[in-house]
Amino acid sequence: MEDRLSKEEVLHVAYLAKIKIKDNEMEKYQIELKTILDSIKKIKEVTGYDDEILIAPFSEDARLRDDVNKSNVIVKDILKNVPRHSGNYIEVPVVINE
Amino acid sequence: MSRYLDKSIIEINKMLKEKVIKPIDLVEEAFARIEENENLNAFITLNKEEAIETAKKLENLEVDNILFGIPIAIKDNILTKDLRTTCASHMLDNFIPIYDATVISKLKEKHMIIVGKTNMDEFAMGSTSKTSYFGAPHNPWNYNKISGGSSGGSAVCVSSRITPFALGSDTGGSIRQPASYCGVVGMKPTYGRVSRYGLVAFASSLDQIGPLTRNVYENAVLLNAIVGMDNNDLTSANKKEEDFTRKIGEDISGMKIAIPNYFMSDIVSDEIREKIRSIIDILKQSGCTVDYIDIKYLENAVLLYQIIAMGEASSNLARYDGIRYGHSKENPKDIDELYYGSREEGFGDEVKRRIMVGSYILSGDNAKIYYDKAMSIRSDIRTSFLEAFKKYDLIIGPTTTTTAYGLDVEDPNPLKSFMDDVLVIPVNMAGLPGLNIPIGFSKDNLPIGMHIIGNDFDEATIYKLASYIEKKLNLDLTPKGCDKSV
Repeated sequence: MEDRLSKEEVLHVAYLAKIKIKDNEMEKYQIELKTILDSIKKIKEVTGYDDEILIAPFSEDARLRDDVNKSNVIVKDILKNVPRHSGNYIEVPVVINE
Repeated sequence: MSRYLDKSIIEINKMLKEKVIKPIDLVEEAFARIEENENLNAFITLNKEEAIETAKKLENLEVDNILFGIPIAIKDNILTKDLRTTCASHMLDNFIPIYDATVISKLKEKHMIIVGKTNMDEFAMGSTSKTSYFGAPHNPWNYNKISGGSSGGSAVCVSSRITPFALGSDTGGSIRQPASYCGVVGMKPTYGRVSRYGLVAFASSLDQIGPLTRNVYENAVLLNAIVGMDNNDLTSANKKEEDFTRKIGEDISGMKIAIPNYFMSDIVSDEIREKIRSIIDILKQSGCTVDYIDIKYLENAVLLYQIIAMGEASSNLARYDGIRYGHSKENPKDIDELYYGSREEGFGDEVKRRIMVGSYILSGDNAKIYYDKAMSIRSDIRTSFLEAFKKYDLIIGPTTTTTAYGLDVEDPNPLKSFMDDVLVIPVNMAGLPGLNIPIGFSKDNLPIGMHIIGNDFDEATIYKLASYIEKKLNLDLTPKGCDKSV
């Protein structure tokens, strides 16, 4: 069995995770991701469990907040952490190709 | 330098009430201690100016509760309004929150004083705090050893007696494991006990905020202050108010205690198992029954954690896009370069690895093969624990398999950090409360901790047993490097 993922496989998971991989990091991730994914695949060998799933260990019924309009955040505060903005608008690069 | 902060919280409170000291004395002392222990790298950001200002304002108020005017340190993944919160990541190294986490609002209502934000593993992903963008903290018992993680800075802060209190967060042992390595008391409350609003999300079905303190009583006091239902966290539980100190000092005879066989298997060092056996002897002599039991799928808990935590992390960390807040790539040519590039530059290796694996786990059919199956087995682990609690009051075991190891240990195996938490992860899977209590030292003078696990929302019984053990052992838990003169 191969001791590493193929470059294509690493690029696929990086694409899913929206992370750019540098050429000099490729080999490291090929080996490390293979080790983790092999470990995770061991779950296929676990048997005898009940089919009921536990999404979160919390049993109270969902409750809804009161339908009241509350002003929790202020635009000028939000903009303090925005990397690029113009007036009250958050700037992004062009998203439509010419 | 005065040494008021070495006194018990009850004594400090009395001195404040009688106006022998003022909050500013405690704040100045805390910052002197921070300076004295700067080499431990426990803090990422200090809050000196505001802490001094708050302390001065408190001089005009009545001392109305036991936490009034007491300095506290906060893990740097808990939002503090106008105080930088980095999650120990380059991604957030300029991030200034615009609101307080619910726990912070509660501490401010009690007039506690935040002295700073503590070091941690990046986005709480790790077991050593070495994945911090700001460098690893050092263990106060041995400068060359790890603090544990991810709440390493909080554990170091309390252990080195900088502040009596700190908050941490625990997704797979991140309060209890560093508490064990650093010789402090650390509690992960029941899932839902403490609001997660304002805790930067890592794995939402596992995360929980909890207290790290010098002793059991003070831990229960801090838990009293941070619990409660919160409309901003719909997984916070609607429970009647209770005093978590109420069972401290009660007789423990007649208590039924269980210890899972897996927790005493050869994955744990001989020295630690020996120490746990000595505690079992004490408990038996004190009139408790202690039985060895089996809990299903404990040996698979790390595997489940890898799947559930990484899956949830990949989803939670998708929000870091370089657009709304956080690190942003300079001069991107298009939206993809902005997104991919900001994440490439902003996240460290451990975080990238976990997000990539998590994205894979949740993609297409894999979600059923891995994530759904992990949640099914998780359900069985919880059921098995709850079955045990029909017969037993508490479950015990070691907190860690070894004592703190060298900061220079570089294990090429990316699974190593998960294995450090093998004994504490099952509790997050089941959503139960768990606490680390120091029970002694190894032959090279490093703290050893015991893990006490309680039934759902039964933190008070954990504190009852922990306080008994604490009193019986009467350990000196101040690291030798600290100045003990008062």
